[in-house]
Amino acid sequence: MATLTRQDLNFGQVVADILCEFLEVAIHLILYVREIYPSGIFQKRKKYNVPVQMSCHPELNQYIQDTLHCVKPLIQKNEAEKVVMVIMDKEHHPVERFVFEISQPPLLSISSETLLSHVEQLLRAMILKISVCDAVLDNNPPGCTFTLLVHTREAATRNMEKVQVIKDFPWIVADEQEVHMEEAKLIPLKTMTSDILKMQLYVEERTQKN
Amino acid sequence: MDDLYLDNIDEFVNDQNKIVTYKWLSLTLGVHVNTAKQMLYHYLQQKRNESSGTPLHATYLVSGKCVENGSTYHKVSVVREDKLDAVKAKMDVTISVHVYSVQRAELKDSSPLYSTDYDAVKENLKNCNKYSAIRCAAAVPLSSSELQRAQETALVPPVEKEISKPGFNENTSATSKPSAKQPAGIMGMFASKNASKSQESSKEVKTEQKEDSSLVETSKSKTASKANPMSNFFGKSAQKKADEKPNKSIKEEMDSSSTASATASLKQSQTSSKSETDVKEEQSKVSKALKVESKDTRSKTKRPEVVDSDDEKMESQQKKRRRIVVPDSPPVPNVHTPSPKKQVKREPVSHQEESSEVKRRKRRRVLRSNTFVDEDGAFVTEKGYVSESYSESEEEPESNSQAKDSSSLKQSFGKREEEKKEKSQKKTSAAKKPTKQPSIMGFFQKK
Repeated sequence: MATLTRQDLNFGQVVADILCEFLEVAIHLILYVREIYPSGIFQKRKKYNVPVQMSCHPELNQYIQDTLHCVKPLIQKNEAEKVVMVIMDKEHHPVERFVFEISQPPLLSISSETLLSHVEQLLRAMILKISVCDAVLDNNPPGCTFTLLVHTREAATRNMEKVQVIKDFPWIVADEQEVHMEEAKLIPLKTMTSDILKMQLYVEERTQKN
Repeated sequence: MDDLYLDNIDEFVNDQNKIVTYKWLSLTLGVHVNTAKQMLYHYLQQKRNESSGTPLHATYLVSGKCVENGSTYHKVSVVREDKLDAVKAKMDVTISVHVYSVQRAELKDSSPLYSTDYDAVKENLKNCNKYSAIRCAAAVPLSSSELQRAQETALVPPVEKEISKPGFNENTSATSKPSAKQPAGIMGMFASKNASKSQESSKEVKTEQKEDSSLVETSKSKTASKANPMSNFFGKSAQKKADEKPNKSIKEEMDSSSTASATASLKQSQTSSKSETDVKEEQSKVSKALKVESKDTRSKTKRPEVVDSDDEKMESQQKKRRRIVVPDSPPVPNVHTPSPKKQVKREPVSHQEESSEVKRRKRRRVLRSNTFVDEDGAFVTEKGYVSESYSESEEEPESNSQAKDSSSLKQSFGKREEEKKEKSQKKTSAAKKPTKQPSIMGFFQKK
C-alpha cells in the first residue's frame, strides 16, 4: 500500500471521514445509554461489525449529521481540538460533558494494510466503553437536552462564521455557561492511539446533579 | 492459588469496568469454559455475600423446554438477573442455567455482550473452541487446495443445489440411524423439537439451524462425500464456519462481510437476497426483544441435531421460497379480475338473448335513453335497459333512429354499450355461424 502523507489531501479526508462516522455513532450511543431520548426511537444497526443503537428520528439525525458535516473541514485541516457533547438539565446547566479530544500526528503516513482494521478495532473498543459508562456515572435528572460544541485551535472559527458550510445552519460562539461546568469531576473513559489519529474520551460530570 | 482468579475477575470488573463474559474469561485466562462459568459464579457469590462496594450486575444463560402454541421447542436465552426467575418459571423443564457475564454497568441491551467477545474470539480465531465444550472431530480448517475447490464449486448454478436437496434428506436419514444410539434423553429433546413446526419456534430454531448448519454439514461430509459435489461443498464450507464462530451465528448472519466463507455465498445463491433480508429482519426483530436469544453452546452431541435442523432448514428454506412467491401473486389476480368481470357482465346479457327467439332474431337488452316531458314541463332523459329484438344479419344503419336520440353524448355512450354486447354475442354465437364484422351502426338495426 502506498505511503500517504499529510500533504496528500485524500489522507486528510480519509481521517476526517473515519472520525465523523465514529462521532456520529458515538453520539447516538451516548443518547441511548444516557437516556436522553426514549429508547423506542433507537434501532439496532451494525457498525465496525458490532451492533450499535442509532436513532430513527429524522430531525435528530439531521441535526447530528449537519453538525458533523460542518466539523469535518476542521478535522481535515487538523484545526479541531475537541468535540464536546454537553448534556444539560432543564435549566440549561450542564450536568455532563462527553469530551472527545482529537489530535492528529503532524507527520503521518499510512504504511500498512492492517492499519484500518486496527483503527476499527480501537473504535470498537471505544464504542464498548461508552456502552458501559453508566457504571461510573450517576443518573441524570429527567428532561435533559444535549448540544454539540467544537473547540478549535487558534482562530479557525472565524472562518466558520464567514462561510456557512450548510445553509441555514449557522454556528455561534458558545455561551460561557455551556462551556464551563462548576464542580466538575473528571472521569476518563478511553484513550486510543493509532498512526493516523489519537483520541481521548473522558467525561466531566457535575458532582451534584439534582 | 485457586483464589487468584477471583482477584483477576475483580480487577477486570471493578478496576477496568469491563464486561466479563464466560467466553472472554476462558480465552483470557486459558481455562475451559465450564471452569470459567464456575469462576464467575463463585466471584458473584463472594461479592454478594460481602454486600459492600459497587453493585454488580449479571446475565444468565437459560436453556430449557418451552411449550408455545401447543408445540414444544428448546429455548435458549440470555437474560438479565432480574428477569431470571420469570424466564425459568415460564419453561417446562429448565435444562441449564449458568452465569453468562458479570459487569458493573446495568446493560440496556445485548450489544456490548457481543462486542466483548468479538475481539477476543477474533484474536484466537484458529483455536477459539479450544476451551469449548463442543467437539467435532471433523471440524478442521480447510487446506488451501480444498478451499480452492470449494470456491470453484460455489460457482455452480443454484439448480444443482435444489436437486441436491432430496439427496440431503436421504443422507441425514442415514446419519440419524447411527446417531440413534446417542444418549436417549437428548434424543428425546430433539425429537420434540422436530415435531414443532410453528412459526414462532422457527425463529429460535432457525437461528439454531444456522448455528447447527455448520454442524449439520460437517456430519454430512462424512457420509455423503462421494455422493454429491454439493454436499461436499457444504461440508467444507461448514467446517470453515465452525472454526470461526460457532456460538454467535445470529450476528454471523449479520456479519456477511466479515466471514468471507463460502457458506455465505452459498446461502445467498440458494435463497434469493430477498429471503435473506427477511431472515435478517427476523433476526433483528429477535435481537430487539428484551431477552436476548443467543445460541446453544451446550449441546452434548451434534448428531441428533443433524436430523432435525436439516429438516427444518429445508422447510424454512421452502418457507423462504414461499415467501418470495407470495408477494408476486397478489398483483396477478388483480390484473385478471377486470376481464372476468367484463365477461361475466356480457354473459348474462347473452344468456337472456339466447333464451328468447330462435333463428336469427334475438332479443337483447339495450341501454336506451328515453326522453320525455314530465309534468313540470321539463325534458327528462332516462337511460334504461330495454329489451328489444334484433337480427344479427341486419347491419344496415338506420339514420332515422339517430334523430330520435336525445343528445349526441348519450348516443355515443349507447353505441359503445351496444357494441360491447354485440361483440359478446358474436362470441357466443360463433359456434353457430361465422362471425360477422360488427359495424358501428349495428345498433340501429331494429327496434
